[in-house]
Amino acid sequence: MFHLLTTWKITMPLSEIADGRIAPRFGIKLDNISKHYGDHVVLDDVSLHVQPGTVTALIGPSGAGKSTFLRCINLLERPDSGTIQVAQHTIEPGKDVSSRDLAALRRTVGMVFQSFNLFPHMSALKNISFPQQKVLGRSKEEADERSMQLLERVGLKEKASQHPGRCSGGQQQRIAIARALALDPGIMLFDEPTSALDPEVGLEVLAVMRELAADGMTMIVVTHEMQFARDVSDTLVVMADCKIIEQGDPRAIMSDPQEARTRRFLRAVLER
Amino acid sequence: MTWLTEWAGYLPQMMSGLGASLLIAGISIFFGYPLGLALSLMVTAKNLAVRTLGLAVVEIGRGAPALVILYLFYYGLPKFGIAFESITAACLALTWNSAAYSSEIMRAGLQSVARGQLEASNALGLSQRDTFFRVIMPQGMRSAIPGLMGVAIQMFQGTSLAYAIAVPELMKSAYNIGSQDFNYLQIFTLAGLCYAAISMPATWITVFFEKRMARHA
Amino acid sequence: MTIMLTLSAFAIGIVGAVPLAVGLSSSNILVRLATRLFVDLVRGVPIIVWLFLLKFGIQIGTFKFNPVAAAVVGLGVVSIAYLAEIYRGGLQGVPRGQGEAANALGLTRGTTFYRVMVPQAFRIVSPSIATYLTGLLKDSSIASTIIVTEMVFQSQAFARQHPSVEGILPYIIVGILYIVLSLPVAYLSRRLDSRMRKAVYA
Repeated sequence: MFHLLTTWKITMPLSEIADGRIAPRFGIKLDNISKHYGDHVVLDDVSLHVQPGTVTALIGPSGAGKSTFLRCINLLERPDSGTIQVAQHTIEPGKDVSSRDLAALRRTVGMVFQSFNLFPHMSALKNISFPQQKVLGRSKEEADERSMQLLERVGLKEKASQHPGRCSGGQQQRIAIARALALDPGIMLFDEPTSALDPEVGLEVLAVMRELAADGMTMIVVTHEMQFARDVSDTLVVMADCKIIEQGDPRAIMSDPQEARTRRFLRAVLER
Repeated sequence: MTWLTEWAGYLPQMMSGLGASLLIAGISIFFGYPLGLALSLMVTAKNLAVRTLGLAVVEIGRGAPALVILYLFYYGLPKFGIAFESITAACLALTWNSAAYSSEIMRAGLQSVARGQLEASNALGLSQRDTFFRVIMPQGMRSAIPGLMGVAIQMFQGTSLAYAIAVPELMKSAYNIGSQDFNYLQIFTLAGLCYAAISMPATWITVFFEKRMARHA
Repeated sequence: MTIMLTLSAFAIGIVGAVPLAVGLSSSNILVRLATRLFVDLVRGVPIIVWLFLLKFGIQIGTFKFNPVAAAVVGLGVVSIAYLAEIYRGGLQGVPRGQGEAANALGLTRGTTFYRVMVPQAFRIVSPSIATYLTGLLKDSSIASTIIVTEMVFQSQAFARQHPSVEGILPYIIVGILYIVLSLPVAYLSRRLDSRMRKAVYA
């Protein structure tokens, strides 16, 4: 499976902006992120550094805080304390965040959701073009051209005029990935992108994600797909009980976990 | 058979009354919907004063009978030197009514939009304005359509109350005809049929929309 | 008088709507169409028209409705139609699996309907019924137009006797009274609702 990746790398990278240029790759530094709802702690002083151009897979039992942590990165959830460093921006979410910083952060970071969250009242093309026009100020022609290019790359050119309701889950998720990529993000976040999909349909989404990883996109992926985590990610991060309990080389962790909690979790997901 | 011929004789006068009813209903909907949208935003506003004001306007508009609001505008306000034509008072009262009802329906519609839509818009970096007007509102209004059509029907029926302040609408025309020859049974049956002839098909269309939307949801 | 009108019409409605609701969800298409037509016709005509029809239109021999009787019957008939529609929605809202499960267990049709469907439907419709009751409270004001001496009529009479600057007051007071009167209904329905939720899910 792994050597397939090299053949996957085709002429034009998925994340190409124009004329062969690729969006700049950013790393991200998250330090001492904490969050609680009332008395209930969700994230307990979590830190994670991600190198530019690497893929980080976030795994762990449900309720561990994986999704919340991911959503803290682009401030969909507001952490109570900690710092987030993306590109040249440093944001301290515990304090007031200026709308300029927030906009810059969200422009740099693209996100793909478990439930796709495409806009149901817009065609696939419009879903991808509309944010480009509004956020990047592209003209309709520029935006549509870029959208069509991306739709072609995810294999859905013929779906351009269809509304999301007429597309399968796998198709919707690929459109959602195209929508996020269209804003030329330096980092992509994936929140369980295949969990709402049939296993077979999930494959087409994973294929797109593999391609993106091969392009060198910085990616953080919350997932239950252990195969994907092992084959594609550069760093595996295991979360449990609101903390990161183990991180490192995915193969090393999967074959020889250091923590008892990791062992228990891996046994549950791998040996079924 | 004799009923039918007599009804034919009444019809011209009834039709002008029906025209007035439709006009009042039309005006109260035309102004009521936008006001309702504004109210639904006020009710969900962060600012306490704005929210309280919105809530008060909505709760009075829904909580007090339409007839009372009608009297308030027609009999009550002139004592402060603000006098209206009866038809203006009817339009104002029903506009308040329809704004209050439609605001509740629109609020429910806006709240029914999946949370993920807001999150996706935020994650894409869309401005609050674009998020509301281009993403949330089109979806929320769509699911509010059957309810809003219901309000329109309710307003049309509500125009019959304007009879009580002597607006020359359908009910008043019927009453006038009836008091000439005391043929109340006939004339009110005809009036009822006139109302039903518009309300019933409108209700069926609403139900059709509702079913179609439930299927596509 | 307002409360009396509301409650008697409500009582007529809540009982009278049962056969209609059964008719509306009947498998016989003729029965269904007939009840549907009746319900839609009653709902398609404004209440004031029904009241005038009953009060002024009906004269059988020397019998005529007095205002209160006309109001109670008129509001009652309209309530029947609206509540029937609400009941029908409730019966439809019970998940199909419930009926199937009851059939699979070999329960009779009667038992299925009364012991499985109705209790669940009631839980679904109780908020709508409460909403309708507050609506009916307001609609009872229409009875003032056929000279029933309920709240609005009284306030008008009062306003006429006291044509002072405060003439706006009676209408404001009566408006507030309606809102206040509808509060206990809203409160009760919320309590009932949360109680039933607990009974089912706890």
